[in-house]
Order: sequence, then structure tokens, then C-alpha cells
Amino acid sequence: MHPIIRLVNRNLTISINPGFLIWQVIFPLIYIFVAGFAYTSLIQQVPFGSKSLDYPSFLASGMIGFNIMNSTLVSGIIIWNDRRHGMFEQIMSGPFTRAHYILSNIATIGIVGLVSASLIALVGYPVFFESVEFSFITVPVIVFAAITGSVLFGSIASIISTRLRSSEGFNVIINTVFLFFAFVSTAFYPAEGAPEPLRTLFYLNPLTYLVDIIRAGIFGNITEFVIVEMMVLASLASVLFVVATKLLTRLDF
Amino acid sequence: MSCIEGKNLSKSYGSTKAVDNIALSVKSGQVFGFLGPNGAGKSTTIKLLTTLISPSEGSLTILGIDAVKHPLAVRHKIGVVLQQPSYEPTLTVEKSLEKYGMMWNVPKNECKKRMEILLQDFDLADIRKKRNEDLSIGQRRRVQVAREFMHDMELLFLDEPTVGLDPSARRKLLDFLKNKVKTGLTIFYTTHNLSEAEYLCDEIAIIDKGRILTVDSPDALKKRFGKEKTIKIHLLEKQPIVVSLLSRIPECVVDLDNGTTITIHSEQSELVLLQVLKILSENKIELEDLSAVPTNLEEIFLKVVRDNASHN
Ligand SMILES: Nc1ncnc2c1ncn2[C@@H]1O[C@H](COP(=O)(O)OP(=O)(O)O)[C@@H](O)[C@H]1O
Ligand SMILES: [Mg+2]
Repeated sequence: MHPIIRLVNRNLTISINPGFLIWQVIFPLIYIFVAGFAYTSLIQQVPFGSKSLDYPSFLASGMIGFNIMNSTLVSGIIIWNDRRHGMFEQIMSGPFTRAHYILSNIATIGIVGLVSASLIALVGYPVFFESVEFSFITVPVIVFAAITGSVLFGSIASIISTRLRSSEGFNVIINTVFLFFAFVSTAFYPAEGAPEPLRTLFYLNPLTYLVDIIRAGIFGNITEFVIVEMMVLASLASVLFVVATKLLTRLDF
Repeated sequence: MSCIEGKNLSKSYGSTKAVDNIALSVKSGQVFGFLGPNGAGKSTTIKLLTTLISPSEGSLTILGIDAVKHPLAVRHKIGVVLQQPSYEPTLTVEKSLEKYGMMWNVPKNECKKRMEILLQDFDLADIRKKRNEDLSIGQRRRVQVAREFMHDMELLFLDEPTVGLDPSARRKLLDFLKNKVKTGLTIFYTTHNLSEAEYLCDEIAIIDKGRILTVDSPDALKKRFGKEKTIKIHLLEKQPIVVSLLSRIPECVVDLDNGTTITIHSEQSELVLLQVLKILSENKIELEDLSAVPTNLEEIFLKVVRDNASHN
């Protein structure tokens, strides 16, 4: 077996546990079904391009992006724990290179991200199927979003975990950053209705781009603006990936 | 054949020379002890030899491979137990052994077989279903050492592996290692514990402040320094002046440990002893107790390190 596959095997073994599954699968589902329908009396229709969506479909599609972002926390936590519990040094003294380690983390996030996204998409499907407009680009767009989004948020989580020393700091910062991403984005509510400066803030947040792209893919509304968003997301992901890799390469013992 | 060949190896951290121009030559099939006080540079040397860090200067050949140019090739052939604990908190003991074997590409059946044997050898069978985060420090250390034997290797590095183990676990580990050496393994072993080095090692290097002070077999070390005896004097009451009085005696080193205990090291112990008694009675200093014993390895170690410190 290739060293990267062996490391991915290990990564998945240590990160998949009941707590993680609840956080990753049960929580978003409860959110879609409870919040989605509870808010329906307040929010009947959400304008979306040329059509309008009901709130549960809007929310369910947003949760896919939200879930991809959350799944990348896995990578940050793996790196963080490996440093804290001596496994980073141990692995680096074994038959692996730093490149193996970094790529295995990216692959792990990619897998967890894709699986989470598909799960939510699958379970959310009955909620938004009426509005779905499948085309030959729907699946590629979602896969693009899942992978780019995983790399982007995975890099952010990795950067945080290479920069910090105390574990309180790690949890507080990771939670604050990801909470900001989650709630100041278009995952839960549309940008159109939001007042300034919140609206501007939405577009300073990569999750907004990720969610917009996924929605455009699902509901068949790939506009020029969405294409720009895809380019922004891809560039940002590349830059952050390079930074995260540099920091990981420089970590010393 | 020589397993480790290091020349002019140095590693600096800023202005600290953690390892200062050392030369190493370790023969295959032996246990090479690397002995030194805290901060001597033992762990830094291990990190250099295991290619975790690269030397600021010098050349290094491990198992015939240029370790600076081909670190990965070296890492394929060695095992490493670092001083720092390393574990996956949420995995059980047996799962961590199995996964570690998998990481080393050991076939699944073979992993299971080795795991069962190691669980017995390291007394881990009772706690095999416990998670690493729930283990005591000593149990975790045993898992860490056992885990390294999941894969094959030619050369094993152990950085103070017995710290945190109780005396019986310590002894068991040393015997386990001795048996492995009989089957052809070479071990590079750091410790600050002399009796351990004496029991296990074929050769011992003493290191302090990043430099190797001497390399020899435990027996030869004793022969070389064995003429020396340690004289211990207990005074009835504190006499700070006594050191300056005694330090006039040639051919010895005097230490006032705590107001009332004086330790003297000398190769001419009979002569020194007579002079000590003379000086004490001239100055009316009363003795409570006096003894002269052959210096043990522990004392040799302290002496070598101390002499080095006074040279600087
Ligand atoms: N990463 C590091 N950065 C700065 N100084 C270090 C680092 N690692 C070790 N040192 C210094 O190098 C010296 C030797 O340390 P070490 O090799 O850990 O000693 P030992 O293992 O013999 O106790 C010490 O003075 C230590 O403070
Ligand atoms: Mg050390």
C-alpha cells in the first residue's frame, strides 16, 4: 500500500467516532428538519435568481456547504493532536515524508467532506427535490465545491493548528472562526435581504462563496457572478493551501 | 560492520550548541549506551541520527546510507522511541499496535500475530481494550515501546525508555531488549541511569554539554577510573572553613555537599585519608563518621562530567 493511503487509513480510524458522527450527520439533519420547517411560517419564500425557493430547500442546500466546512475541522484536529501527543514526530521518524503527511491530510478532508456532503444531499433531497434542476454540470459543480471548500477550510484549520501552542487557545480560536464563517454567511439566510454592512461581510466570507456555488449547482442557476465566485474560491484555496503547507514544512521538533 | 558513523556532527539552536562536533562509531549487534545528565544533548543526537533534524555541520552514515542525503531510506530501516510520549488518545492499546503495524505496511495477519506476542511480552494483555488516554504514564510508555516492535528493523533508537516504569517493568524491558540484540538487532540507548547502562550496554559514551567525553565498555570504564576511591566524611557540626583547609591536599577533589558532609575523590586514597585526619585534628574538628569506598560507575560518570565542567 502507498504511504499516503496508509496514513489516510490511520486518519480515518482516529477521527471517525460517535461524537464526530453526531456532530457531522445528526446535527445538520436535525437542523434541516426542525429549523427548516419551524421557520417556514416566518419565511415563506426565499428569492433565488429567477425563481424562489421554500426555506427548507434553501437551508438544506446551505447545510451542505456548512457541513463541508465543519468536516475540515477534522484535519485541523488531527494535526493539532498529532503535535500535542507526539505522533507528528513519531510519524516523521517513520517511513513517511512531510509531503506524505500533508497530502494524506488533504485526502482525509476530501473524503470526509465528500461523504458528508453526499449524505446531507441524499437526506436533504426529499426536502429540496421539487426545486432541483439537474443538468450535466450539477454533480461536477458540487464535487468542485466540495474539494475546493475542503482544501480551503482544511488549510485554515491547519494554519491555526500549526500556529498555536495551548489547547484552550486552539478550541476557542477554531470555534470562534468557524462560528463566524457559519453565521455570517448565506448558509442560513440570503444575502439579498440582509442590511449593510452585514451584506458586505457576507462576501468577505469564503463559506458564502462555497454555499452560493453549491446552490447554483443544485438549483441550476450558474450565472456569471457564480463563475467569479468559483474563481475566487479556487484562488483563495490555492493561496491558503500553499501557506498551510509552508507552515507544516517548517514545523520543527 | 559499523551501523552508525558520524563525523564532526554539530547541531546549534541559535547560540546554543546542543551537539558540538561529535564523532560516533557504533558497531552492529551491540547496545550502545549514550549517557549524560539532563540537557547534555542526548535527545538532540537521537533526532540527528534518526533524521528528524538535519545536522548544522558534519556527515552521517546510518546502515551504510548517507543519512543527510537519503533520510527516508534510513527511516525505512530503523525504529525510534523518542523521549516524548506519543500515542493516539482515543485508540485502544490493541488498536494502536495494529494500526502502527499497518502504517509500517506489515500484512494484517502478521500484525495480529505480533500484537498478541507483544501484548504478552509487555504485560499489556489486561489493558488491551483500554484507550490510551486512560492509561497511566508507565503503561503508556510500555505501549509506546512495544508498538515499535510491530515492524522489522535493523537499528533501534531508544531515548530514555524506562522513565516512568516501575523496577520490575524496567527489568523486564531490559531483558526483552537483551534478547532482541541476540537475534541481531543493534540498539542505540540513551539514559541518565548508570546501573541500567551497566546492565545493558556493550559500550558507553558519556556526553555532557553537547560533547562526547569518553567512550568505552562498562568494565573498561571501571578499570580506568576504578583506582579512584570515594572518601565520605560526616562532621558533627557545620564547618564551612573545612573545604579550604582540605583543598590544600594534593591529588584529590573535595566537595562539601551540605554543611556537614564532605566527599573526596582520589586515586591516592590512603595518603589523602591520613592527611585529612591530620588536618581535622589540628583544627579540632570532630568527626561523626568516615568511610572510603571504591568508586562505582555512578561516581565515575559524575567525575567525568565534573572534570569536563571545570575544564571550561
Ligand atoms: N528545539 C530546540 N530549540 C532550542 N534549544 C533546544 C531545542 N532542543 C534542545 N535544545 C537545547 O539543547 C540542549 C540539549 O538538549 P537535549 O538534547 O534535549 O538534552 P538531553 O536529551 O540530553 O536532556 C539543551 O540545552 C536544550 O535546551
Ligand atoms: Mg533527552
